[in-house]
Amino acid sequence: MSDPSDLLTRFSIALTKRVTAVKTAVVAIRLPAGRHLTGMLLRADVIVTSDQSLPKRDEFEVVMAGGSTVSAKVVGRDPGTNIAAVKLSQPVSSGSIIPGEAQVGALALAIGADANGGARARMGVVNAVEPEWYSSHGGRIDQRIVLDINLGQSEEGGPILDAAGGVLGMSTLGPRRQAIVIPTATIERVVPSLLRDGRIARGWLGATLRPVAVPEALGDAAGQSSGLMVMSLTDDGPAATAGIVAGDIILSVDGASTRRMRNITARLGADSIGRKVDLRFIRSGTVTSRQTTITERPSP
Amino acid sequence: MSAALKPTPSIQLRVAIHATTPPRRMALSKILADAGYIVVDAQDAADLVLADGDCAQIEDTPTVVLGSVDRPVSGSLLPGADAHQIDAALRAVAAGLIVRSPAAKEAGFDQLDESDVQGLLTPRELEVLGAIMGGFTNKAIARHLDISLHTVKFHVESVFRKLCVRSRAEAVARALDSKHFRTIKL
Repeated sequence: MSDPSDLLTRFSIALTKRVTAVKTAVVAIRLPAGRHLTGMLLRADVIVTSDQSLPKRDEFEVVMAGGSTVSAKVVGRDPGTNIAAVKLSQPVSSGSIIPGEAQVGALALAIGADANGGARARMGVVNAVEPEWYSSHGGRIDQRIVLDINLGQSEEGGPILDAAGGVLGMSTLGPRRQAIVIPTATIERVVPSLLRDGRIARGWLGATLRPVAVPEALGDAAGQSSGLMVMSLTDDGPAATAGIVAGDIILSVDGASTRRMRNITARLGADSIGRKVDLRFIRSGTVTSRQTTITERPSP
Repeated sequence: MSAALKPTPSIQLRVAIHATTPPRRMALSKILADAGYIVVDAQDAADLVLADGDCAQIEDTPTVVLGSVDRPVSGSLLPGADAHQIDAALRAVAAGLIVRSPAAKEAGFDQLDESDVQGLLTPRELEVLGAIMGGFTNKAIARHLDISLHTVKFHVESVFRKLCVRSRAEAVARALDSKHFRTIKL
């Protein structure tokens, strides 16, 4: 029946080969109520998965490709990049991951796990590729890759392949169930820290802030039209130590304007911890500045 | 005519409550009792379950959850849902429907929200908007903030312009669902 010279048949065979090549690296993480989440085998004893969909527990049962089960421990989580690293109680054989390259319009395959050690596949194209971005949790992600694939809930956390079989990254459900990719480069950057420290350190000021317009009369002195008003402070946090009080409008941190959040987030990376910075703010109609030392954000 | 078109008989539904704290349980019990439900103990047979997000257990009984929950449930409302919403959700779920609050949108891993600096309110305008939401008149706002009535009117106009609204009611509705009361932890 099937004509091996037929283009569509060859295309289909190539797709199944890609899935077969990667399916030993796809695992199911068992969740309560008979549900599961997909994980991706990064090396013999480490899997990564989507942090936002992994319940706050320390241990899980993992169904390997083929159906055997292994117990596993969560060793580190980073909500900022949506990466959770889970360590298997016994190593399994694993292939190596070859990073892929994302191009708009290129074919993409999303591989998920079913509950019993089988694979699930979906195909689409890369809808958008944009430069590095910051998540609402403050993590830096190397590339913004959006897919036109309708990802199933249990398939989140699996690998996304390009046409050559390279791994673009880990699938993640974005706003309105949009499928986005946490790039392989980000996973390779974050996972070693997660395995070592269990978390990604970030700096903080210890303040809850609200975006406000700078009153017109102060616009010239402030040099910007908006800022972040202090709503509350954490006792002994860097902002409180510097003498910042509720009601102050913060204009810049370490020279970076609070008009753009990503400037501020970029200034509060792991390297900021222990750094002395200037906080410029408005209090009682005057622009002033104080110095403080960034400390590490306590874990939630 | 089919049975589905008959009006629902006014049977009293039995509801079990899983609340985070005893006072919260009492508050929810009162809402349910006022709406004509029978509140039963957790171990008793119930037609429905009303649970706070953190307390939702795995149930076969149709469940309405107030807050986020990490598995599919029949009804999902915001933690601060009012009595009317809770009643409507319980009745809908009892009738075999699925209830979602549009505000309790499916979250997802999202980008850092660059605040749209156009149309942000000044601290004074936020105070005035807060007072409008509290149902204060301009006169009361002037007294409360210790500013002239003229200045209050000026701020109210500016708030209306920035929110693109024409009435106090519209301003309240817009404010409840807007960037102006969003906070960021740094």
